[in-house]
Amino acid sequence: MKPADINKIYLKPSSLKDAYDYASEYKKSFRYVAGGTDVFANRFQGNDNSDCFIDLSGIEELKGFENVKDYFRIGALNTLNEVIGNKHINKEYNVLTEAAKMVASPLIRYRATLGGNLLCENRCYYYNQSDWWRDSAGYCLKCEGNICIATGSKKACYSEFVSDTAPALISLNAEVEVCESGEMKRYKLEDIYTCEGVNPRRLKNSDIIVSILIPSGLVFKSVYRKLRQRKSLEFTSLSSAVTINKNNFLKISLSGVDSGPVTYEGNTGSNSEEIIKYFLKISRSVENDMYSREYRREMIKVYISKSLKELGLS
Amino acid sequence: MKQIILTVNDVNYELLVEEHEMLSYTIRNRIGLTGTKVGCEQGSCGACTVLIDDVPALSCITPVMKCVHTQILTIESIAKDGKLHKLQEMFVQKGAIQCGYCTPGMVMSAVGFLKINPQPSEDEIKEAISGNLCRCTGYKKIISAISEYAAESASDKSVIADENDKYLSVGKPRPYIEAEKKVKGEADYADDIKIKNALFCKFLRSTHAHAEIVNIDLSDALKLKGVRKIITGKDLPISFGVLPISQDETSIAVNKVRYIGEIVAAVAADTEDIASAACNLIKVEYSPLKTFFSIKDSLADIEEKEKIHSHCRYNNNVHKKAELRFGDQKEGINNSSISHKLNFTFEGINHGFTEPHAATAYWDENGLTIITATQVPHYLHRFLAKVLELPMNRIRVIKPYVGGGFGGKSDPFPHEIIISQLSKLTGKPVRTRLTREEVFLNNHGRHPSEITMEVGLSKEGKVNVIDADILLDGGAYGSFGVVTTYYSGVLLQAPYKIDNFGFRTRRVYTNKPQCGAMRGHGAVNPRFAMESLLDELAHRTNTDPCELRFKNFLPSDTLTVGQFRITSNGVVESMNAVMEKSEWKKRHGKLPYGKGLGVACGVYISGSALPIHWNEYPQSVVHLKVDLDGRVLITSGASDIGQGSDTMLAIIVAEVLGLSIDNVFVVAADTLLTPIDLGSYSSRVTFMAGNAAKMAAENLKKSILDSVSLNENIPVEELNISKERIFSNDKTVDLNWKEAVEIATKKVGALTVSGNYNSPKLGGDFKGAGAGLSPSYSFGSCIAEVDVDTDTGEVNVLNIWGAHDCGKAINPLAVEGQLEGSWHMGLGQAVSERMKFYNGLLLNPNFLDYKIPTSVDTPPIDTTIIESIDPEGPFGAKECGEGAIHPVIPAIANAVFNAVGYRITSLPINPEEILNHIKQKY
Repeated sequence: MKPADINKIYLKPSSLKDAYDYASEYKKSFRYVAGGTDVFANRFQGNDNSDCFIDLSGIEELKGFENVKDYFRIGALNTLNEVIGNKHINKEYNVLTEAAKMVASPLIRYRATLGGNLLCENRCYYYNQSDWWRDSAGYCLKCEGNICIATGSKKACYSEFVSDTAPALISLNAEVEVCESGEMKRYKLEDIYTCEGVNPRRLKNSDIIVSILIPSGLVFKSVYRKLRQRKSLEFTSLSSAVTINKNNFLKISLSGVDSGPVTYEGNTGSNSEEIIKYFLKISRSVENDMYSREYRREMIKVYISKSLKELGLS
Repeated sequence: MKQIILTVNDVNYELLVEEHEMLSYTIRNRIGLTGTKVGCEQGSCGACTVLIDDVPALSCITPVMKCVHTQILTIESIAKDGKLHKLQEMFVQKGAIQCGYCTPGMVMSAVGFLKINPQPSEDEIKEAISGNLCRCTGYKKIISAISEYAAESASDKSVIADENDKYLSVGKPRPYIEAEKKVKGEADYADDIKIKNALFCKFLRSTHAHAEIVNIDLSDALKLKGVRKIITGKDLPISFGVLPISQDETSIAVNKVRYIGEIVAAVAADTEDIASAACNLIKVEYSPLKTFFSIKDSLADIEEKEKIHSHCRYNNNVHKKAELRFGDQKEGINNSSISHKLNFTFEGINHGFTEPHAATAYWDENGLTIITATQVPHYLHRFLAKVLELPMNRIRVIKPYVGGGFGGKSDPFPHEIIISQLSKLTGKPVRTRLTREEVFLNNHGRHPSEITMEVGLSKEGKVNVIDADILLDGGAYGSFGVVTTYYSGVLLQAPYKIDNFGFRTRRVYTNKPQCGAMRGHGAVNPRFAMESLLDELAHRTNTDPCELRFKNFLPSDTLTVGQFRITSNGVVESMNAVMEKSEWKKRHGKLPYGKGLGVACGVYISGSALPIHWNEYPQSVVHLKVDLDGRVLITSGASDIGQGSDTMLAIIVAEVLGLSIDNVFVVAADTLLTPIDLGSYSSRVTFMAGNAAKMAAENLKKSILDSVSLNENIPVEELNISKERIFSNDKTVDLNWKEAVEIATKKVGALTVSGNYNSPKLGGDFKGAGAGLSPSYSFGSCIAEVDVDTDTGEVNVLNIWGAHDCGKAINPLAVEGQLEGSWHMGLGQAVSERMKFYNGLLLNPNFLDYKIPTSVDTPPIDTTIIESIDPEGPFGAKECGEGAIHPVIPAIANAVFNAVGYRITSLPINPEEILNHIKQKY
């Protein structure tokens, strides 16, 4: 008998209702699993000790692509590879294709889901370590310690928000459909994030992202960039998605430089210097990444200014 | 536990599983399909890839419960009806397999991907396998195998084996003899071998960098059901260390700990999880001591009681100081028309082999047997005897297939000694497997270094002087550090002629995991400094950097300033090759800003002329036996760790005896069955074991020809041996091999012969003269092309052209593999790899944050083999496994200088520094 695994449960509901019922039943210690690529790496490190995993992968309501009214609907359970391979997305929302292509490695993208990437756990190199490591370093705020090792702060955790697809979708003004206590609700994607390192999402554990909705017919044009040391097998150190549409709407979203996405909304006439200043002011990157804080801030300038130039704005 | 039915390779398995266990565990441990490997357990290396419903999946992060009602395919399903899949055949033929540990995952990724995209472009193939790390090949041959397979599938051509293949011998490219076994997932690595009823051992590791152990309370841990034995430092107090002069380590910390991660206690329990749980129940009370994390800290004067080791001779933490001077460096500088001095810093580098350390030990009527992933069974044999106080004849060390080493499996390790002791105490086999984090903590990797070097040129452009001051951060223990201390200096005295050469190296202890030998041992970082300075001086004197090097190369058959005997030397040819391939003359200096070409050279030993443990036993011994069946059994202590040494031995013996490879059989690296060999390090195996094999084969040939001569009454000079026939010039005698063996074994039975190698006496008679001596040296050159993004400072390596003088390529396919792997590893050190610490705690002990270049990070590599035919190497061969790493790193950095005018003085190359330079300048 493996003592660590006594009373561990794995459930595979076939409907949202069953999933929610299981979540209620095991509310003390459960986690939903979609592709599992993030959850089970974290579990290996001892950063997830849930007793019950509820595997959503059998729920058909969470799959598929379809046009719904003024939106294109992407089921949250579609894998990143399915997103990459979707011709409509590639044509209309290329920034999402580009972002999805840059997630982790192809082996991860076969399994990881779009919904899962939006909910990917925040990272920090003082947190994404084994339990023994964190014991040696002293536990940080994100794992029930009392200090942020990266900054020395006793108040705030600065773990990085590392989703690659979230900034792309936010820049497209995407919304998410969330099943909350059995009830469907819609939010702007950026509104589900708290930008707070320990609990980076406003959603409850039992909430399920059902789908992602992207506005149709707005003729988006975008540029996506990702700062990483290798061209594969990497979380982001800075991802930027810069999008304009036919209504001269401009939206920019960054990940990797704060505990949540950092977003700017304006129009194609917006002043690039002002935009950069805005991002540098509100991004809270700290020394918790293989790139220095200074360099990542410098890259915010470079990425935004190059992206705007590529879109014909400057 | 849960009862499930799992369909694997079309077989339904009824299993009891833990609900949260991962598929890799179920496949390997419950079903017993060990072809699926585990390298990281976090989805970062791809070794565990299987297909689930035809789509590749990382089985180490896929819960088994997710896989119920799916079709799982593992590597064992790919070959059908005893025949390899054509993709597997291509892997074998192209030499895409070295250590073979990544191979099953790589094949499964490719099979899955090709189902989706049967006609991929080369870029698509690179992208598809970019989640599968390979540390041996540089991916070139893997990509080529997949690409050719796809092309041949399209043209419906099948791969036809050449009938003459079986006689391919010296100089003909051929796959490793065990390649099929590896590509099928049938090669057993240490953790694949399951000895019945084995306990599992886990280690409690220190959470303090430097502290006295005040108390260890085992009481709660011992109460846990399933715990069989717990030992601490007092149970294994005898010290060891790979070098006789550095016996400074114990298997488990005694009284104090010296780095975070040092073993404090070891638990043997019925299962891995029980052992882990028991470790968590052990309470250790520490009293912290002053910590030393940097070279600077450890050079500072301190009190006796603060020292990391009490045996340090000075009032600091200096472990070893070495200094050698030839000529007069001051005068050399004064006489130079130009000189330049730079300070360099280098981060620590880990070997990054894909197979984590694993071992099983058991005792029976023959004493102790340990099956372990080691590069040097003989040293482990010696130190098991020392620490366990056993005679060597009660110990047997067996090396199974090893998933890469690169120096990182060449020391005797605590875990090997501990499980041997636990097995003795419990009376049961004990196994262990380190996690990837533990592999990083074990380390023994390349030393972080700080180097100040000055190089001066005469007005004719001759290197007048090299003066180097080298500091090595050795971590907590000695390992190979004394050798590193010397190699850091002495290997600078070639490939250029230098009259005034001096260095001082100091290796310090720090409270970090210990450093030791890694590919290119000791010489990589100083070589970087030297080649960077030559590049700088070429720039300052407006000289082509290749031309500057041509002016200074040592010739063949000469002595260096420190009395290294240089025999064969293909450095000029290597330089010419890379210049031509890269179109250097046409392109260097003419590329636009941001793009650049850089060049560098290197030199390395073909084994150390002096053994570590001084005695008069030969450095390599090979035995051959032939009996009536006609097959020649080769027994050798040399360790094939993926570099192809078993195949090399087979080729040499087959060549001398005119046999097909099918007619030789290699048994290697088992201390009971094979004669002692000093192991696979210092690039010694082809030269030394190869020579021993050649001598043994010649002895066997003589024995057989003598018998035939006597039997057939024909002068032995008239007899020939080729393609398994023994025939006289006039063909009056024409026997097949078996007939000849029958004659030779008549009345005496099986023939056994031996061959051996010992280096000739070399070197001067001054203190330190022995360091770096080798019976032969390899030489090489690299040119790299880079594109520097002037907005971000990021360096994109576009091309690597490399040429290496290996004397003679016994097996060109294997030589290319070694070279490409070396250049790939050098690329990693140049651009992305580093061991980063926080207060002595390694921040990146995993394959996600320790950044080995993936297939998409690796540029096209152009490989040229130079054959200078060494007078003493077997068939002219010398080393090719390590030397090639030296030039590639400075070639990349020099290309950056050529691109943007920024001199790289610290590794890995930091885009931030480059960007700052660009911003300041423009």
